[in-house]
Amino acid sequence: MADKAGKIINRQLFTENQVLRQVLGICSSLAVTNTMSNSLVMGLGLSFVTALSSMTLSAMRSIIPHRVRMLAQTLVIAVYVILVDLFLKAFLPEISKTLGPYVGLIITNCIIMGRAEAYAQKNPPLPALIDGFFSGLGYTGVLLMVALIREVLGFGTVFGMNVNFAGFETWTIMLMPPAAFFIIGSFIWLLGARAAKKAAKTAK
Amino acid sequence: MKKGHIYTLLFMVALTGVLVFALAFAYEGLKPGIAGHARLRERRAVLDSLGLAQGLSDGEVDEAFERLVKPGELNGHEVYVYEEGGQTLGYAVPITGPGLWGSISGYLGVKGDLSGLLGLVFTSQNETPGLGGRIEEPQYKEQFRGVPVSAGSPLSYGDHGDYRVDAVTGATQTSKAVLSMVNRALDAVIFDKEAN
Repeated sequence: MADKAGKIINRQLFTENQVLRQVLGICSSLAVTNTMSNSLVMGLGLSFVTALSSMTLSAMRSIIPHRVRMLAQTLVIAVYVILVDLFLKAFLPEISKTLGPYVGLIITNCIIMGRAEAYAQKNPPLPALIDGFFSGLGYTGVLLMVALIREVLGFGTVFGMNVNFAGFETWTIMLMPPAAFFIIGSFIWLLGARAAKKAAKTAK
Repeated sequence: MKKGHIYTLLFMVALTGVLVFALAFAYEGLKPGIAGHARLRERRAVLDSLGLAQGLSDGEVDEAFERLVKPGELNGHEVYVYEEGGQTLGYAVPITGPGLWGSISGYLGVKGDLSGLLGLVFTSQNETPGLGGRIEEPQYKEQFRGVPVSAGSPLSYGDHGDYRVDAVTGATQTSKAVLSMVNRALDAVIFDKEAN
């Protein structure tokens, strides 16, 4: 049974957001959110890899032997990650330099394997593609929100453009990974509190 | 279809083969672009360490590099030599050393008569963004241009005649690491202590 595209999109962007509701992909959310441009490229790279690997794995799902499915998933994901890395090196060398090792680390992002296991192996290629792409965009959205807070307070810039006003002292803590830890924690807390309130309402 | 051991094995071999072939194909296609960017970055760094990269566009870097800089030797170490009109005006010495998190590398430019520095440029570093990472900012690295050096007196932070070199606030370890890299290059390559 294939899901409706709109339903998948809503689920991946909001109700089941991979970072805030599933708490996946936290490692890179802490590492690359010090500037908005890093977060954007990382998010788009991940969306691309998740979408295409989900689609490829879904198209092959009937011929992949169940016992080695994780090996097959890792292989396919690795190939797409290397492609992204090569592409950045060839066409966006500056961004490739700032992201450095993080691009290679897309491969360890739990979201990709999570979508392959939880969705792509049971659904047709097109829904898998949409599911993968929008789970990546959901991740990108969260990354950008965290990066906005960190970049404005830490560097006094947005996408590298100066928004600093006179007398504002930038916060060094915002440039270090623990800052993202607090920010994402607050996001999860807010969403969790809202979900709990809703649940209490329906229970009544 | 029944999927036995043989099928599983063949499947993995075939999948790996296809994917490796696809990757090799993509890599061959993108290789010239990647190598070009890497070479350009290296050449710009060499020119910048000699104080020659100011305002050069990407297209002009190659031309300036080939006109002004040649690979050469300084006390038996491989360096880039800056020559103009038959005169040696400077050397770009590759430097590398441990930083706070990972290794830092770059080029140190010295005047042709070894009386002072022409500049300091970093080609790779993994220091804390916003703290140690600020060694890449002009405010820090431009301070080194023109600073006088001499054999037997290691460079330090503080006043040097008309010049002043300051460490990065909040990044003491990184600042020390950079200084010791520079001093190692001064000792080993530029003034060649072991030979004397």
